[in-house]
Amino acid sequence: MSMTPGLRKFVLTAHVISSVGWLGAVVAYLALAVAALTSADAQMVRAAWIAMELTGWFVIVPLALASLLIGVVNALGTPWGLFRHYWVLVKFLLTVFATIILLLHMPTVSYFAGVAARTDSANVFGLRGELIHAGGGLLVLLVTATLSVYKPRGMTPYGWRKEHEQRKASPSNSP
Amino acid sequence: MSQTQVRPDRPPYPGTPRWVKVFGIIGIVLVLVVVIIMFTGVGGKHGPDRHIPSGAPSGHTPPIENGVQQP
Repeated sequence: MSMTPGLRKFVLTAHVISSVGWLGAVVAYLALAVAALTSADAQMVRAAWIAMELTGWFVIVPLALASLLIGVVNALGTPWGLFRHYWVLVKFLLTVFATIILLLHMPTVSYFAGVAARTDSANVFGLRGELIHAGGGLLVLLVTATLSVYKPRGMTPYGWRKEHEQRKASPSNSP
Repeated sequence: MSQTQVRPDRPPYPGTPRWVKVFGIIGIVLVLVVVIIMFTGVGGKHGPDRHIPSGAPSGHTPPIENGVQQP
Protein backbone atom coordinates (compact mmCIF):
# COMPACT_ATOMS: atom_id res chain seq x y z
CA MET A 1 0.00 0.00 0.00
CA SER A 2 1.73 3.14 -1.21
CA MET A 3 0.45 6.66 -1.83
CA THR A 4 1.20 8.86 -4.81
CA PRO A 5 3.89 11.52 -4.17
CA GLY A 6 1.30 14.31 -4.12
CA LEU A 7 -0.99 12.55 -1.65
CA ARG A 8 2.03 11.56 0.43
CA LYS A 9 3.11 15.19 0.78
CA PHE A 10 -0.42 16.28 1.64
CA VAL A 11 -0.78 13.63 4.36
CA LEU A 12 2.68 14.42 5.74
CA THR A 13 1.83 18.14 5.86
CA ALA A 14 -1.45 17.39 7.68
CA HIS A 15 0.45 15.16 10.14
CA VAL A 16 3.07 17.84 10.87
CA ILE A 17 0.41 20.55 11.29
CA SER A 18 -1.72 18.44 13.66
CA SER A 19 1.28 17.27 15.71
CA VAL A 20 2.88 20.71 16.03
CA GLY A 21 -0.57 22.19 16.75
CA TRP A 22 -1.05 19.63 19.53
CA LEU A 23 2.33 20.55 21.03
CA GLY A 24 1.54 24.27 20.86
CA ALA A 25 -1.90 23.77 22.41
CA VAL A 26 -0.34 21.86 25.32
CA VAL A 27 2.08 24.75 25.88
CA ALA A 28 -0.88 27.18 25.96
CA TYR A 29 -2.67 24.83 28.39
CA LEU A 30 0.41 24.77 30.63
CA ALA A 31 0.55 28.57 30.54
CA LEU A 32 -3.06 28.70 31.80
CA ALA A 33 -2.31 26.20 34.58
CA VAL A 34 0.83 28.07 35.69
CA ALA A 35 -0.93 31.44 35.55
CA ALA A 36 -3.79 30.10 37.69
CA LEU A 37 -1.48 28.36 40.14
CA THR A 38 0.58 31.50 40.72
CA SER A 39 -2.39 33.87 40.83
CA ALA A 40 -3.97 35.25 44.00
CA ASP A 41 -7.17 36.10 42.15
CA ALA A 42 -10.04 33.58 42.43
CA GLN A 43 -11.61 34.89 39.21
CA MET A 44 -8.37 34.16 37.41
CA VAL A 45 -8.33 30.58 38.71
CA ARG A 46 -11.97 30.03 37.72
CA ALA A 47 -11.40 31.51 34.27
CA ALA A 48 -8.32 29.33 33.81
CA TRP A 49 -10.25 26.12 34.62
CA ILE A 50 -12.97 27.03 32.13
CA ALA A 51 -10.40 27.98 29.47
CA MET A 52 -8.45 24.77 30.10
CA GLU A 53 -11.57 22.67 29.60
CA LEU A 54 -12.41 24.44 26.33
CA THR A 55 -8.81 24.19 25.11
CA GLY A 56 -8.67 20.54 26.11
CA TRP A 57 -11.89 19.31 24.49
CA PHE A 58 -11.98 21.60 21.44
CA VAL A 59 -8.29 21.97 20.56
CA ILE A 60 -6.04 19.39 22.23
CA VAL A 61 -8.28 16.29 21.90
CA PRO A 62 -9.13 16.86 18.19
CA LEU A 63 -5.49 17.60 17.35
CA ALA A 64 -4.31 14.52 19.27
CA LEU A 65 -6.78 12.24 17.46
CA ALA A 66 -5.94 13.85 14.11
CA SER A 67 -2.21 13.50 14.73
CA LEU A 68 -2.61 9.82 15.67
CA LEU A 69 -4.91 8.88 12.77
CA ILE A 70 -3.03 10.87 10.11
CA GLY A 71 0.27 9.53 11.46
CA VAL A 72 -0.94 5.95 11.03
CA VAL A 73 -2.15 6.69 7.47
CA ASN A 74 1.16 8.42 6.71
CA ALA A 75 3.20 5.49 8.01
CA LEU A 76 1.16 2.79 6.27
CA GLY A 77 1.11 4.72 2.99
CA THR A 78 4.89 5.07 2.72
CA PRO A 79 7.82 2.62 2.66
CA TRP A 80 8.53 3.54 6.30
CA GLY A 81 5.60 1.41 7.48
CA LEU A 82 4.20 1.42 11.00
CA PHE A 83 6.08 -1.56 12.45
CA ARG A 84 9.23 -1.65 10.33
CA HIS A 85 11.41 1.03 11.94
CA TYR A 86 11.83 1.43 15.67
CA TRP A 87 11.56 5.23 15.57
CA VAL A 88 8.14 5.02 13.88
CA LEU A 89 6.97 2.29 16.28
CA VAL A 90 8.17 4.20 19.38
CA LYS A 91 6.48 7.37 18.10
CA PHE A 92 3.25 5.46 17.51
CA LEU A 93 3.28 3.88 20.99
CA LEU A 94 4.06 7.21 22.69
CA THR A 95 1.27 8.95 20.76
CA VAL A 96 -1.25 6.23 21.64
CA PHE A 97 -0.18 6.42 25.29
CA ALA A 98 -0.46 10.24 25.39
CA THR A 99 -3.88 10.16 23.69
CA ILE A 100 -5.25 7.55 26.12
CA ILE A 101 -4.01 9.51 29.16
CA LEU A 102 -5.50 12.70 27.65
CA LEU A 103 -8.91 11.12 27.10
CA LEU A 104 -8.89 9.57 30.59
CA HIS A 105 -7.89 12.88 32.21
CA MET A 106 -10.25 15.28 30.45
CA PRO A 107 -13.33 14.34 32.57
CA THR A 108 -11.36 15.51 35.64
CA VAL A 109 -10.73 18.86 33.94
CA SER A 110 -14.44 19.08 33.07
CA TYR A 111 -15.32 18.44 36.70
CA PHE A 112 -13.17 21.31 37.98
CA ALA A 113 -14.30 23.59 35.14
CA GLY A 114 -17.92 22.80 36.07
CA VAL A 115 -17.25 23.66 39.70
CA ALA A 116 -15.53 26.90 38.66
CA ALA A 117 -18.47 27.85 36.42
CA ARG A 118 -21.16 27.08 39.02
CA THR A 119 -19.62 28.59 42.14
CA ASP A 120 -17.76 31.67 43.30
CA SER A 121 -14.79 29.83 44.74
CA ALA A 122 -11.91 28.28 42.91
CA ASN A 123 -9.87 25.13 43.33
CA VAL A 124 -6.11 25.49 43.05
CA PHE A 125 -5.29 21.98 44.27
CA GLY A 126 -6.26 20.27 41.03
CA LEU A 127 -3.94 22.59 39.14
CA ARG A 128 -0.88 20.69 40.39
CA GLY A 129 -2.28 17.61 38.69
CA GLU A 130 -2.69 19.67 35.54
CA LEU A 131 0.98 20.66 35.65
CA ILE A 132 2.00 17.00 35.96
CA HIS A 133 -0.32 15.76 33.21
CA ALA A 134 0.34 18.61 30.77
CA GLY A 135 4.07 18.64 31.57
CA GLY A 136 4.30 14.89 30.96
CA GLY A 137 2.32 15.28 27.74
CA LEU A 138 4.63 18.04 26.57
CA LEU A 139 7.68 15.86 27.29
CA VAL A 140 6.20 12.98 25.26
CA LEU A 141 5.41 15.31 22.35
CA LEU A 142 8.93 16.77 22.41
CA VAL A 143 10.34 13.23 22.25
CA THR A 144 8.10 12.28 19.30
CA ALA A 145 9.00 15.51 17.47
CA THR A 146 12.70 14.82 18.03
CA LEU A 147 12.33 11.23 16.79
CA SER A 148 10.59 12.54 13.65
CA VAL A 149 13.50 14.82 12.81
CA TYR A 150 16.45 12.58 13.76
CA LYS A 151 14.90 9.27 12.61
CA PRO A 152 17.40 7.12 14.54
CA ARG A 153 18.48 3.93 12.75
CA GLY A 154 17.15 0.54 13.64
CA MET A 155 14.73 -1.89 12.04
CA THR A 156 12.40 -4.23 13.84
CA PRO A 157 12.76 -7.97 13.09
CA TYR A 158 9.53 -7.66 11.07
CA GLY A 159 10.94 -4.69 9.12
CA TRP A 160 14.22 -6.52 8.53
CA ARG A 161 12.38 -9.55 7.11
CA LYS A 162 10.13 -7.41 4.89
CA GLU A 163 13.06 -5.34 3.64
CA HIS A 164 14.93 -8.42 2.44
CA GLU A 165 11.81 -10.01 0.97
CA GLN A 166 11.28 -6.84 -1.08
CA ARG A 167 14.94 -6.64 -2.09
CA LYS A 168 14.77 -10.24 -3.24
CA ALA A 169 11.61 -9.54 -5.23
CA SER A 170 12.94 -6.35 -6.83
CA PRO A 171 16.66 -5.73 -6.16
CA SER A 172 16.69 -2.27 -7.72
CA ASN A 173 13.64 -0.98 -5.83
CA SER A 174 14.57 -0.64 -2.17
CA PRO A 175 12.88 2.11 -0.05
CA MET B 1 11.20 -29.54 19.70
CA SER B 2 11.94 -26.22 18.04
CA GLN B 3 14.66 -25.72 15.46
CA THR B 4 16.37 -22.46 14.56
CA GLN B 5 15.48 -21.43 11.02
CA VAL B 6 18.56 -20.76 8.92
CA ARG B 7 18.08 -18.47 5.92
CA PRO B 8 21.30 -18.35 3.91
CA ASP B 9 19.70 -15.82 1.49
CA ARG B 10 19.12 -13.27 4.25
CA PRO B 11 21.81 -11.59 6.43
CA PRO B 12 21.34 -12.13 10.17
CA TYR B 13 19.25 -9.58 12.08
CA PRO B 14 21.70 -7.04 13.59
CA GLY B 15 19.76 -6.81 16.86
CA THR B 16 17.83 -4.12 18.69
CA PRO B 17 19.61 -0.72 18.71
CA ARG B 18 20.89 0.61 22.01
CA TRP B 19 18.62 3.68 21.93
CA VAL B 20 15.54 1.45 21.75
CA LYS B 21 16.74 -0.50 24.81
CA VAL B 22 17.34 2.77 26.71
CA PHE B 23 13.86 4.02 25.73
CA GLY B 24 12.35 0.71 26.81
CA ILE B 25 14.05 0.77 30.22
CA ILE B 26 13.02 4.40 30.83
CA GLY B 27 9.46 3.63 29.74
CA ILE B 28 9.16 0.57 32.00
CA VAL B 29 10.57 2.51 34.99
CA LEU B 30 8.16 5.43 34.41
CA VAL B 31 5.15 3.12 34.05
CA LEU B 32 6.14 1.26 37.24
CA VAL B 33 6.53 4.54 39.15
CA VAL B 34 3.09 5.72 37.99
CA VAL B 35 1.48 2.36 38.84
CA ILE B 36 3.11 2.34 42.30
CA ILE B 37 2.01 5.94 42.97
CA MET B 38 -1.56 5.20 41.84
CA PHE B 39 -2.10 1.89 43.60
CA THR B 40 -0.15 2.32 46.83
CA GLY B 41 -1.85 5.61 47.67
CA VAL B 42 1.49 7.44 47.90
CA GLY B 43 0.14 10.17 45.66
CA GLY B 44 -3.39 9.97 47.05
CA LYS B 45 -6.48 9.05 45.05
CA HIS B 46 -6.48 9.78 41.34
CA GLY B 47 -9.08 11.95 39.60
CA PRO B 48 -11.40 14.64 40.97
CA ASP B 49 -12.36 12.54 44.02
CA ARG B 50 -8.91 13.19 45.55
CA HIS B 51 -9.95 16.82 46.08
CA ILE B 52 -13.29 16.02 47.71
CA PRO B 53 -13.58 15.50 51.48
CA SER B 54 -14.34 11.84 52.24
CA GLY B 55 -17.41 12.53 54.38
CA ALA B 56 -19.16 14.69 51.81
CA PRO B 57 -22.02 13.35 49.71
CA SER B 58 -21.08 12.65 46.11
CA GLY B 59 -22.01 15.29 43.56
CA HIS B 60 -22.94 17.93 46.12
CA THR B 61 -19.56 18.76 47.51
CA PRO B 62 -18.67 22.42 47.69
CA PRO B 63 -15.36 23.23 46.01
CA ILE B 64 -12.32 23.83 48.13
CA GLU B 65 -11.89 27.50 48.79
CA ASN B 66 -8.91 29.10 47.19
CA GLY B 67 -8.39 31.39 50.11
CA VAL B 68 -8.19 34.40 47.83
CA GLN B 69 -10.24 37.55 47.84
CA GLN B 70 -13.41 37.67 45.82
CA PRO B 71 -14.07 40.87 43.87
